[in-house]
Amino acid sequence: MTDYIKYLLSPFILVLHAWGMALGGAYAWVGFAVLMWILCFDAFLKPSHHIRDTRYPWIYDAVITCTVLACFANIFFYAYLAGNGHFVGGAAQTGAFLGTVMIGFVIGAPPVHELFHREGLALRTLGRIGQCLVFDPWREITHVVTHHMHTATPTDPDYARRGDTVYGHFTRTFPGQWKESYHLEKMMWTKRGRKWYDLRNAWVFKVAYFSLFLAVLFSVGGLVGGGLACATLILGPRMQLEVFNYCNHYGLVSATPGRFKKHHTWNHLTPFTRILALEITNHAGHHDDSYKPFYELAPDEIGPKQPPFILCVIMAFIPPLFMMAMKPLLKDWDDHYANAQEREIAARENTRAGWDELNNDSSNLNSGAMALA
Amino acid sequence: MNDVRAQRNLAAEQICSVSVGDSNKDGFSVNRNDMLLKAALDQGIDYPHNCRVGVCGQCKTKLISGKVTPMVDLALSPLTNAEIESGYFLACQGKVRGNINIEIKLGQHHVVPEQQVAGRISLWKRLPGEVIELRIALETPFQYEAGQYGFLAESGSFVRRCFSFSDAPPAEAGVGATEVGFLIKRLPGGQFSEWLFKEDRTGLKMWLHGPYGVMGIDDADTSGICVAGGTGLAPVLSILEQRLSSSAHAKFVVIFGVKFANELFAMDKLAALQTRFPGRVRIIPIVSHEPENSTWQGARGLVTAPINEQLGVDFSSVAAFVCGGLPMVNAVEAKLIAMGMNPERIHADKFMPTG
Repeated sequence: MTDYIKYLLSPFILVLHAWGMALGGAYAWVGFAVLMWILCFDAFLKPSHHIRDTRYPWIYDAVITCTVLACFANIFFYAYLAGNGHFVGGAAQTGAFLGTVMIGFVIGAPPVHELFHREGLALRTLGRIGQCLVFDPWREITHVVTHHMHTATPTDPDYARRGDTVYGHFTRTFPGQWKESYHLEKMMWTKRGRKWYDLRNAWVFKVAYFSLFLAVLFSVGGLVGGGLACATLILGPRMQLEVFNYCNHYGLVSATPGRFKKHHTWNHLTPFTRILALEITNHAGHHDDSYKPFYELAPDEIGPKQPPFILCVIMAFIPPLFMMAMKPLLKDWDDHYANAQEREIAARENTRAGWDELNNDSSNLNSGAMALA
Repeated sequence: MNDVRAQRNLAAEQICSVSVGDSNKDGFSVNRNDMLLKAALDQGIDYPHNCRVGVCGQCKTKLISGKVTPMVDLALSPLTNAEIESGYFLACQGKVRGNINIEIKLGQHHVVPEQQVAGRISLWKRLPGEVIELRIALETPFQYEAGQYGFLAESGSFVRRCFSFSDAPPAEAGVGATEVGFLIKRLPGGQFSEWLFKEDRTGLKMWLHGPYGVMGIDDADTSGICVAGGTGLAPVLSILEQRLSSSAHAKFVVIFGVKFANELFAMDKLAALQTRFPGRVRIIPIVSHEPENSTWQGARGLVTAPINEQLGVDFSSVAAFVCGGLPMVNAVEAKLIAMGMNPERIHADKFMPTG
């Protein structure tokens, strides 16, 4: 039964964060502090290859459903408190804000992602509406259709090529996703012979529930509370998700779009990251069968691995550090995972990034790669 | 005892029967919630398919009764709205939710396994109509069937595009081609075709991934009409050569359409087939935009124009092989059906130019 209990960690942190915010003052930092402490502690743990108990899947589903609902409650609560001047002083305001940002990303986004991949109508609908928590009701369509179909190729807006910084990635990925969302939505209404404004179009539903979400947020928090809550969602789940995407396929190469192989993604398999991120960092399994629930994903023990999750996210904001960590890993990937065609693409990508040393067989970067992995 | 019975009932509920058309012989079973195509292939059933990821549309299946849930909105698939509304779905994207009855032709052909092969450009030749004839000498023999296509990519590049093979595959079963040919049209702004047209690329390393598509499958001795628009001629050439070689009797009419007379390309290849198989190939080049006052003496109009009684073909007994842009193929299909052709004998490859 311990497997089922593990996934209560996310709602537990949410409750702690809400409790801390309710108390105010220095307690507003509780959620943020606990979450960061767990992630930092996790960075020192060995990868876990444990397969989850799947005898009672409904328990997992109940937990993540409650987590999504609790995340809605949490953001409304934050908007209410922030809008009513509950947080006195910069420290309390900062703690509550940062906590809501990071918890929105680490705890709010994974169950939303999990649920919009589900097949059942109820859970999938909750996942779709849950996209309000990542401040983008269109995130699903470009993710499920484009990202999963074009993994590790530049035609996927979520993909970062070798040498790309996270800041450059932001400027490309958002416009790329918006363009792709429009293209896919247009394809759906055009093929069905509908006008763009037809009320049956999917985008109408998305606009409707997102507008309702914003209306509730601003009505409970006013202009200040609603605005701050939106800011936490934009800076947290919305932007950090792109940092996650930036890291998770960084520099990898697929020569056969639509034919995912397990080496087309990095994995982060430390125990608490797996639990908090609902196994999404167990990424090869997810791409291998994106309809497989998180508790059925088997970790890829021999697949490419990045440094611990929290370290990757932090390093991504310091490009020289991130590149320094990634180059040996990519060299190792080229030498041990890529097929012949992918190696040739990788070599050209190295040149494009100005990393010709990775194309040198005598490069001693490999030893570093093994150490980091 | 009750538990055992309950377990049996549960097991029975989890198994769904798949019946194919009115026949009982093609039926099979799958687990509830299994993806139809994967479940069929896992059982060794020759289910038409190619990409398996909802792109090629080869596993298009009609649902007669029962419930199948598509994993992605079918409007994002290659199916037309009319097909979706008629109950078609893609087997590779369809989860079986209960007992179903479907319409699909099983066992149409032996599926050639996917291959990823390197080679070097052995011929780069400009043809009229902004077409390049490209030939690639392969490092490893590559198996494919007439009418199929493969993805081409320059070594080191992410950019890849699909093109139909223009040669007939080797006649011996299980033997791969050591050289493959393509006819590639320049599409302004197209990443791949613009790169290819920029300069002579002879000697460059390329990668070929495939084969995909099913187009040329019909009875070997059946005569046929081939209709090609532009570089849709490539698979037609492949099918034509293969069918002429494998039958001693089959005769073909080839309707080949381009916009202007000076854009007619690969006519030497068609003429060579005429010479090699005397009396069995008739060629009708047709131009749609040729100025009235030009010296062109041949047929004018769209490729549908020559499809009439004067063609001297018994439409009810021949097969058709049609390749070109979507509107062209749709128009040809409609005309052929209006002339009395059995829709099941029309083998079409509709392509969208991607350059």
